[in-house]
Amino acid sequence: MFSVEDKREFYAGALLQFLVLAHWLGAFYYAPVDIHQGQVYRIMFLHVPCAITAFASSLGLCIFSIIGLRQRSESVMAWAKATAEVGLLFTILTLATGSIWGRPTWGTWWTWDARLTTTFLLALLYAGYLLLHASMPAGPGRVRVCAVLGILIFADVPVIYKSVTWWRTLHQPPSIIREGGSTMDPEILWTIVVGIVIMCLYSSWMVRVRGRNILLTGQLEAASFEQLNG
Amino acid sequence: MMANAWQQYRALVSQGVRAELADLERLVSPVLFAITLLLLFAFAMGDVDDSLRIRVYLAETMLTALFALQVSFARLFEPDRQDRVFDLLRTYPVSHTALFLAKYSLILILGTATMIPTLVFGAFLNQTANQHLFSWSVVGISLLALAGLGALGVLLSAMTLKANARQILYPLLYFPLTAPVLLAAVQSSRLCLDGGRAASDIKAWLGLLLGFDCIYVTLGILLFTELVDES
Repeated sequence: MFSVEDKREFYAGALLQFLVLAHWLGAFYYAPVDIHQGQVYRIMFLHVPCAITAFASSLGLCIFSIIGLRQRSESVMAWAKATAEVGLLFTILTLATGSIWGRPTWGTWWTWDARLTTTFLLALLYAGYLLLHASMPAGPGRVRVCAVLGILIFADVPVIYKSVTWWRTLHQPPSIIREGGSTMDPEILWTIVVGIVIMCLYSSWMVRVRGRNILLTGQLEAASFEQLNG
Repeated sequence: MMANAWQQYRALVSQGVRAELADLERLVSPVLFAITLLLLFAFAMGDVDDSLRIRVYLAETMLTALFALQVSFARLFEPDRQDRVFDLLRTYPVSHTALFLAKYSLILILGTATMIPTLVFGAFLNQTANQHLFSWSVVGISLLALAGLGALGVLLSAMTLKANARQILYPLLYFPLTAPVLLAAVQSSRLCLDGGRAASDIKAWLGLLLGFDCIYVTLGILLFTELVDES
């Protein structure tokens, strides 16, 4: 019924779910309370890993796109599409958690801040990529066009990352990687770093599951087409 | 070989310019669209405080230019598509780089024809007796922005050529991707018009603008070949 690969994927997923839950417990019970923000800052343990994963997804999309373009491979582009879907999900989560944190801290759900706006643009680009993929018939044309867009999307990520340095924004400047080292409490810093690693692993697992799903769907469609045509 | 590519480039540019001139409506409609948008913006904003005038002028004109250029760029391959010229060109031994550069040059010509009237008319609508807004440095910055926007315009036009939902996909991809160029152009223009600001601030924004121009033009040359390559 289930192949060895399916079982491995299931156990890996279960383990990663457990790690995510364990990290959340660590975020609530291991990390100390922030003296300025109180308990509300704890959403950062979800927000920062989601944001890093959203940016890392664009790097993954770019790598898959370059490989897909070189090999003219539809199957590599299935992984690229899966990465874009996961990237979109994590960008939306980043915006949502940032908004929830912004309401009590800044007094507003949304502001036209450079970091927020550029992150929103990233979500639009991921959505645009998926729409473009859906609007084209399968084949080498789609591989080329989607791969080109995948590379272009990655060119925008440095702007999002540097936006808090280039513009005077409400969003705080980088606090983990900065000149002179991080000024964060070590317990907070480690909880965030572990969260980033777990979220990146979790998103890789999601890409793997979704990528296999897209490939299987393609194979099923091809098989049914062959069957219909006798 | 170089002479060949140069000749191909010249032939393609001249073919493009002739196709545009044969259908003047295509050349004039983005300018008319820009003027209509500027009037609507000016009407919507009403009387603006003098301290905000520069910001409002730049916001109105840059956004108007962006919308008008999108109208112009989205139709770049339209004449080629109608007569299947693009499909034929792909099968001919034409240098793809020459094809990209020809389309890019055409887009720069069309873009300049839209951008300059937009800036002049925008300045005319927003200026007062003691505040003149038209500036050649802003024209220069806008043309620099056009260099980046144009490269993206050619790439996106080629990309969406065979997409089913082309009309909606083009702006959906064009506006988010042009954001860095637009932001850098607006900020550097504002600093130029404001006056009294540190030259290093303007240099930083111009650096960002030039950086993205280089990225988009380089990616354009590299990726356009991949897009039109039928192999």
